[in-house]
Amino acid sequence: MRFTRLLAVFVCLYSVMAHAILEVTVLKQDEEAFPIVIAPFEVVGNAKQGQEIANIMRDNFNRSGEFNASSSKDVINAEVDYDKWRSQKTEALVYGKIEKVNKKVFKVKVHLLDIYSSKELYTKEFSVHNSGIRRIAHYLSDQIYEALLGEKGSFYTRLSYITVVNKERGKREYRLEISHSDAQNPQTILVSSSPILSPAWSPDQKKIAYVSFENGRSEVFIRYPFVRRKTQKLPYFDGISSAPSWHPDGQSIALTLSKKGNKDIYSYHLKDKKLTRLTFDNSIDTEANYSPDGDSIVFTSNRSGQVQVYIKNLITGKIKRATFAGTYNAKAVFSPDGKQLVMVHRVDKDYRIALLDIKTKDLIIMTNNSLDESPYFSPNGNMIIFATNKKNQGVLSVVSLLGRETFELASKAGEVREPNWSHYSR
Amino acid sequence: MIKIVILSASVVLLSACSTIEEFVSKITGEPDVVTVEDRRGATQENIIAQDNSSFEVQNYSGTNAVVKDAVTALKEEGVVFVLHFSYDGYEIDEKSTKEIIKHANFMRDNPQVNLTLSGHADERGTREYNLALGENRALSVKEILGLYDLTTRVEVISFGEEKPISQAHDEQGWQQNRRVEFIYK
Repeated sequence: MRFTRLLAVFVCLYSVMAHAILEVTVLKQDEEAFPIVIAPFEVVGNAKQGQEIANIMRDNFNRSGEFNASSSKDVINAEVDYDKWRSQKTEALVYGKIEKVNKKVFKVKVHLLDIYSSKELYTKEFSVHNSGIRRIAHYLSDQIYEALLGEKGSFYTRLSYITVVNKERGKREYRLEISHSDAQNPQTILVSSSPILSPAWSPDQKKIAYVSFENGRSEVFIRYPFVRRKTQKLPYFDGISSAPSWHPDGQSIALTLSKKGNKDIYSYHLKDKKLTRLTFDNSIDTEANYSPDGDSIVFTSNRSGQVQVYIKNLITGKIKRATFAGTYNAKAVFSPDGKQLVMVHRVDKDYRIALLDIKTKDLIIMTNNSLDESPYFSPNGNMIIFATNKKNQGVLSVVSLLGRETFELASKAGEVREPNWSHYSR
Repeated sequence: MIKIVILSASVVLLSACSTIEEFVSKITGEPDVVTVEDRRGATQENIIAQDNSSFEVQNYSGTNAVVKDAVTALKEEGVVFVLHFSYDGYEIDEKSTKEIIKHANFMRDNPQVNLTLSGHADERGTREYNLALGENRALSVKEILGLYDLTTRVEVISFGEEKPISQAHDEQGWQQNRRVEFIYK
């Protein structure tokens, strides 16, 4: 009995230590989804790591919710029997070969076949360093996705998020983390006993802006996760400094600053170190997000007496209210094509994720929970990641634009929140 | 009040280790050995220790013993150090105004003390909006203190929904968390 309890404590501790790794759960496998077979790669020489490529690609396609990816029993290295694959209702087939060139370098060749037209849709041959295996798998996933669906995938990208773990004596540990799009390769960028909020990838994916309370109040910082460079603190007045959003050119950041109690949105030019005020109302204006062309910002304001979403055209200076349905709409973010907004929308007593067509004003409620927040588009705009509560635990959830839940990211040790999806790697 | 804090904290702790049972059953093959009562009993001890140190609202921060004694005396008089607000609201009601006036008089009587007002929100709605909302709540209190010419001695800090007193996801918990705290130094 005592032993069991000790063991339980040990297991719990162990899971706290390993908390950086998020568990990925694919929620629904749609039977209608595109059937694709990704065969195990032919391995020449001792290229064990090579097997990883096919596995990662399969997981990617299954997570997307748009594909039903499976493996094949055998390696494919000879003439492909199209009739056999047709009879198995496979629509596309991926196979390849990995060969060890030297200790650290592999040669990879990949083929994508369209089974119905008996045609090769894509093939590529290249050399890859041992450390680049995962990235290559994501890159190839994007290429294959595009060859099949005619639009870009969102696999060769990164996520950032905040984890919160309860520690002894009521203390909490906050971590700013980044990972690949499949939540693998997690890296901790910052550990703090104070809250961290609103991480945002820069358009070049080299910097992260975020809000931290490490100095006792909310301040916006910029950190460089991949190079040794000093963390930069953005200026503020006498109140809150928060809600960073990158301009698409990466040169400036919109943020919320409180001056003599009035919270407005400002744009800070990083090189010129110049602040430009973008909103002038006495009410709360916050949660700015730039349109993909950089010509507008969407933001949250209570200027009408209710919390609603507004769009300011930065060229004409005109402000238009964007949301009319519901009594609470906040934290809106533009879709990559600039035509839609995703936001937090209150339905009765619940806070859910909703999608708004800016032109037609059609609002679609995407989720079914009670405390959803921080929605963000995948870079191709086909998925929305957001934070929610499942069994009293903060998790990240992803829905496809068709409203289908696709996958969930959870930490055994604590809460995961505030997701942000990077742009494409360059 | 204390009871509620303990209960909600135990929920947090249990949920952090929600996989224990699963793990234990996998490892020992005897899932019946660990009963729910056992685990509750084991965690409660820890939580009481937690409660004393962290969830208590601090009304004083600093090293000045004179100020500390004065604040303790004020608290013993029954003056309220935490004001509560309505959903999405930052208006001060009459009852709160009376308490703020007591604090104003205290500050006038004790010119050496300075005050930090920390503004908080419940978990509903977005974190960034709640950060702004928490600041407005603290600013509403500061505005009344300003009528007593105390503006320069009052600092406002917002924590939004980041420092909840209650972890409960219900109206009772939310009501406790929509607040402004008085911290003297």
